[in-house]
Amino acid sequence: MQISVLVALTLLVLIAFGFLTGRRRALSVRAQGGPRLHSLPNYYGYYIALWTGGPALVLLAAYGAFGSGLVNTLAMSQLEREAAPLIAEFERQLDADAQIIALLEEAAEADADAMEAREAITRARDSGLDPQAFQGALAGHTTRLTEIGARLDQRRGEIARSVAARAPSSDAGIRARSGFEFWNSPRERRELFLADARAIAFGEGLASRNTPELRAAALAMRPVEDIFRWSVAALVLSMAVGGLAWGRSRVKASFRARNRVEAAISGLLMFASIIAILTTLGIVFSLLFESLRFFASIGWRVGDFLFGLQWSPQIAIRADQIGQSGAFGAAPLFAGTALITVIAMSVAVPVGLFSAIYMSEYASKRVRAVAKPILEVLAGVPTVVYGFFALLTVGPFLRDFALFLGYEDAVTQSALSAGLVMGVMIIPFVSSLSDDVINAVPQSLRDGAYAMGATKSETIRHVVLPAALPGIVGAVLLGVSRAIGETMIVVMAAGQGANLTANPLESVTTITVQIVTLLTGDQEFDSSKTLAAFALGLVLFVLTLMLNIIALRVVQRFRERYE
Amino acid sequence: MNRPASIRTAVEARLARRHRAERRFQFYGAAAICLAVAFLALLIGSILIQSVPAMTTWRMTLQVELDRAAIDPRGDMSEASLRRGGYNAAIQQALRDQFPDVEDRAELRELFGLYSSVNAARLLNRVVQDPSLVGGTVSFTFPIDDDADLYLKGVSVRESRAPGPAPVRIQAGEGRAVTLSAEARVFDAFVDDVREAARERARILEQRAERAEAALADAIDRDIRAIYEAEARRARAQAERLRDRLDEGAPVVIGPQIPSLLVQVDGAVIRVSDVSADRRSARGEMVISAPLGEAAHSDWTLWTIETPQAGRLISDRQIAWVDALRERGMTRSGFNTELFTYADSREPELAGVLGALIGSVLTMFVTMLLAVPIGVGAAIYLEEFAPKNRITQLIEVNINNLAAVPSIVFGLLGLAVFINTFGLPRSAPLVGGIVLALMTLPTVIISSRAALKAVPPSIREAALGVGASKTQAVFHHVLPLAAPGILTGSIIGLAQALGETAPLLMIGMVAFIADAPSLGLAGFTEPSTVMPVQIFLWSSAAERAFEARTAAAILVLLTLMVSLNAAAIYLRRRFERRW
Amino acid sequence: MAYDAQPAPATVYHPAPAGMNIKVAASDLSVRYGGALALDRVAMDIPDRSVTACIGPSGCGKSTFLRCINRMNDTIETARVSGSIRIDGEEVNDRSIDPVLLRARVGMVFQKPNPFPKSIYENVAYGPRIHGLAASKDELDAIVETSLTKAGLWKEVADRLHQPGTSLSGGQQQRLVIARAIAVNPEVILMDEPCSALDPIATARIEELIDELRENYALIIVTHSMAQAARVSQMTAFFHLGALVEYGPTEEIFTNPRDQRTQDYITGRFG
Repeated sequence: MQISVLVALTLLVLIAFGFLTGRRRALSVRAQGGPRLHSLPNYYGYYIALWTGGPALVLLAAYGAFGSGLVNTLAMSQLEREAAPLIAEFERQLDADAQIIALLEEAAEADADAMEAREAITRARDSGLDPQAFQGALAGHTTRLTEIGARLDQRRGEIARSVAARAPSSDAGIRARSGFEFWNSPRERRELFLADARAIAFGEGLASRNTPELRAAALAMRPVEDIFRWSVAALVLSMAVGGLAWGRSRVKASFRARNRVEAAISGLLMFASIIAILTTLGIVFSLLFESLRFFASIGWRVGDFLFGLQWSPQIAIRADQIGQSGAFGAAPLFAGTALITVIAMSVAVPVGLFSAIYMSEYASKRVRAVAKPILEVLAGVPTVVYGFFALLTVGPFLRDFALFLGYEDAVTQSALSAGLVMGVMIIPFVSSLSDDVINAVPQSLRDGAYAMGATKSETIRHVVLPAALPGIVGAVLLGVSRAIGETMIVVMAAGQGANLTANPLESVTTITVQIVTLLTGDQEFDSSKTLAAFALGLVLFVLTLMLNIIALRVVQRFRERYE
Repeated sequence: MNRPASIRTAVEARLARRHRAERRFQFYGAAAICLAVAFLALLIGSILIQSVPAMTTWRMTLQVELDRAAIDPRGDMSEASLRRGGYNAAIQQALRDQFPDVEDRAELRELFGLYSSVNAARLLNRVVQDPSLVGGTVSFTFPIDDDADLYLKGVSVRESRAPGPAPVRIQAGEGRAVTLSAEARVFDAFVDDVREAARERARILEQRAERAEAALADAIDRDIRAIYEAEARRARAQAERLRDRLDEGAPVVIGPQIPSLLVQVDGAVIRVSDVSADRRSARGEMVISAPLGEAAHSDWTLWTIETPQAGRLISDRQIAWVDALRERGMTRSGFNTELFTYADSREPELAGVLGALIGSVLTMFVTMLLAVPIGVGAAIYLEEFAPKNRITQLIEVNINNLAAVPSIVFGLLGLAVFINTFGLPRSAPLVGGIVLALMTLPTVIISSRAALKAVPPSIREAALGVGASKTQAVFHHVLPLAAPGILTGSIIGLAQALGETAPLLMIGMVAFIADAPSLGLAGFTEPSTVMPVQIFLWSSAAERAFEARTAAAILVLLTLMVSLNAAAIYLRRRFERRW
Repeated sequence: MAYDAQPAPATVYHPAPAGMNIKVAASDLSVRYGGALALDRVAMDIPDRSVTACIGPSGCGKSTFLRCINRMNDTIETARVSGSIRIDGEEVNDRSIDPVLLRARVGMVFQKPNPFPKSIYENVAYGPRIHGLAASKDELDAIVETSLTKAGLWKEVADRLHQPGTSLSGGQQQRLVIARAIAVNPEVILMDEPCSALDPIATARIEELIDELRENYALIIVTHSMAQAARVSQMTAFFHLGALVEYGPTEEIFTNPRDQRTQDYITGRFG
């Protein structure tokens, strides 16, 4: 850390020095009465400063981003190599262990039972009956599966410990143990392991544990890190000095310093605008990459994922386990998303559209001055607040109301309460976008209708709205895309049950809810459970992207027509 | 010629109807606006009302004796020694002194349940700062347990008190057991109420059984029949049992499902365990003892706690103790400063938003540092420098689409790229800030471009006309004029990011974090949470006291956002320039 | 300008020539937009079955005057109209007059053609539909055909009645708008610079049309072009700075103006 600070400070001093050198040189050229300077003296200073700092800073940034990862990988792969005999022994014992084989069989059995229970639930639903008892049975099987999973993990842990214990407690043995522990950890534990080892080695934060294995890893990291640090420091400083010298050698009266500096500035600006593209590419590639891994883990049955009717990812204990195939059918999520979107839009479109009409055609200036900011406030309320409102105010109210009307199975977390509140959230989007397009309809069209003797509402319904229709459709599509991608309201208020239902009083789950459920809590990163979240994210991204593109196109066409 | 007349009659015939349609249409518009306004009022109103219980908190003040041997185990008054002292035991002793007759272990646990032992750490800090306190008695004030707090605020437990209708005689039995007996049927009202409630429940159970039986008749599937049969049998049996208990001749045993009955007499509190069938006498035990004597008491209180024990988290005894503490002036209600000065905690009474506030500040700092320069730079490039070609067009379309990508997708990006690929720390404001910056970027770019576009071309032409380069014209003339608009757009973008939750869930900022992150460079990589996530976490917490605290946290967040937006509006008004 | 110094003879009453039926009569008619006086105490009579042209430099109040006749000024929030304007002796500004009914009786054509975003057929049928002038589909078809024929557009569009009105050329669109106006069989037709957005050929067609329409309607047109006024109108009114300066038979105004300002305007000294 101290070296990096020292390097950074030296670099700053060099940059300042470079600037002053450039300036002084330019001034001295002028003082000697030589040929007229092409640019102002400061530009020569900027030019040299750029050459001093630019390449060095890029290198430093790259080191900051990738340096520690590289050190970790190098150090740990060395330890893993040393642990190769332990790893081989562990795998041999795993395959031969009677208890594990029995547990795997038991898991397969429980999985089959769970499948059966799920079928029974479907049968009960189809015959219009209450499937509660089977749901109980299913929950039982699920718990059993989880228990078996836990026992499997436990047994695997035992074997791992016994294997590790065989290594001698010499330095080499502990290094091997360290490599073995790292190899045998799931992804998240690996992160923790690395963080702890780094904490011990370099004092970055506090270590949560301090074991001989961690100390061995820390010891392995230190020399690698030292080499890296010193070589990067040397490289950075020599690049800075080299850049300074090169820049200095170029400063002459005829040198077009300003143009060079300006080219650099505009390059920097272009880079800023490319970040937007990089973000999109980052989204597309990360989603695609992880989704492909997910599809590979379910045997490329993409159709089962998109159209399967069973969503219960908690059943699948690990990727290599049989029976998880049926658990990743996302159709109930799509149906839930659609149901909530429909409810939300049936609130947002009429209210938003009529507000926009009233605001742009009827309201006096004073009403507009009050109502418009209020709608804007509605748009600015964080979604988590809407979620809280849906969960604690709207949900209970709707449940009590449904109970009052004699609907016995009413629940607090229902599609209706989430949809209604989401609709309120989307009102301002629909209304402000519609307001814009309605205002963009030329006054001459309205005048034409008024001059025919049309009343105000006839003018609006027959002339203004048809003219604004494409824009309004665009606004609604953007609203739909918003509803599909909204997360917090549904996470808090729509429930968790992956029910394939059209009943708004039942709880449903959506794409976004499942992404959150799959990625929060304690999970290993590489399981198909977590990868499934990325596949859902990809579906969500593609869906909203298509809606956005269509909507933006439609609105653009509309604007071109009237502007 | 009757031409004009005919038009007139034709138009007039429909005029009334058309005007009605007109008024109807206008009414729909006004109604839509009113509906939107009503939603907002309901939203804010319900949150305000829900937050009321969290605005104040009840605190207990105890005189804690800091025994030298217990507090300074090594006897050298060093900090290390003081840190090993038995502070919680000292607080426990102070509480026991108030209720000396509590002996039983289970009862003691209930008594100590009136506060969280985490408070001992505060006492420790006080002593470490001022070692001269050791050996004396300090007056220590701390928040009372959340369930007791809710009871004292009267929001979680329904209760009623009535004067005893006739003199009662109290006979002490073994230990603290007592028998109450009176000449009149003093427990009449209580027993009637209990029986009425039980009757109602039995009726509901029977209804459920009937429904199950009806469904059974329709069911075909064997498994389904089994379910309904079991359901019907269970409900019938329960109803039967209740009906049995309703039998007039039987005594009423007070269980967890029915209201509790306490009797207050001459400073003592008796918890009644069963009422005899004649409704004149009852048995119970002293919760708070006092010498009562043999004579009949005419001045006594029937204290019914209508919420049954199963429906609340505070026991009868705890209610009696808390009530006694209040009587003795040892509890006091005051403004809930803990909410603002403490970080998160599992104990609602010790949970505050400070940690989340600091997390939000750090996260927003990163977001601002990234989103504003990059966004403004991109806007300047696209608006002033970019050639109008297909690449520029692609960037523009891309930015517009990025603005409408669901925020959770940015969270997935952060998880996959920054955490898993670059190995940045989880749950850290650094990563949260980067993700939110990418999310805010399109907003900043779009509003900055609008601000730049609003600067008339004549300014650029004038600058170019006197020989400035393009870069000079933009940076010396256009940018200063567009700055207010850019600033406003950036602030609005930041306010949006401040309220964002979903992407931060993806990068692990949902963890429970009991220590506020440090407000320095190290804080950026420490695990932390932010305001909206804190709200989400509290809203899903089981303790009822968190409900009000969630609402209060929402108010804090909304206040922050309103002030940010107000700053944006002020800037816009102050520096707005129209051409 | 020197003319500003002259006392404005604003309240001078301008009668129609004897022997003609008076259709529209204005007296003491003023209009303010916010604080600005746009029309200053205009008083004139406009004859039936003839074309009256309003000329004058930009911003002289001629369009404002036109918009008073069918109360289009109601749609502008800041406009305040005072004084009286009567059609067939009936006060237009009276509270009891429904602007909907008034506008059914007074058609209007605007500067830029503004067909509705509907088909050609629906554009013409719009007025009869909302006012309930046709009892059946056949009757409506007949009205559409007659109106388009009167507007001289029938032959050009008969085979594409259901294409959007915006698909027509500018001149055709303006004739479509005229057809739309005459479909409700109004008594007065107002035209606000109907040819300013058209090419010379289309302009000639419209002028012909105006001349034909004179048979049945009272037409009032605002025009920038003095030549057009001279070609199509029987009466001409010259507005300047919100005041009606001179009004009389077209021939008289153009050959022997009484007011110096009129003289200067028609000879092109200002405009």
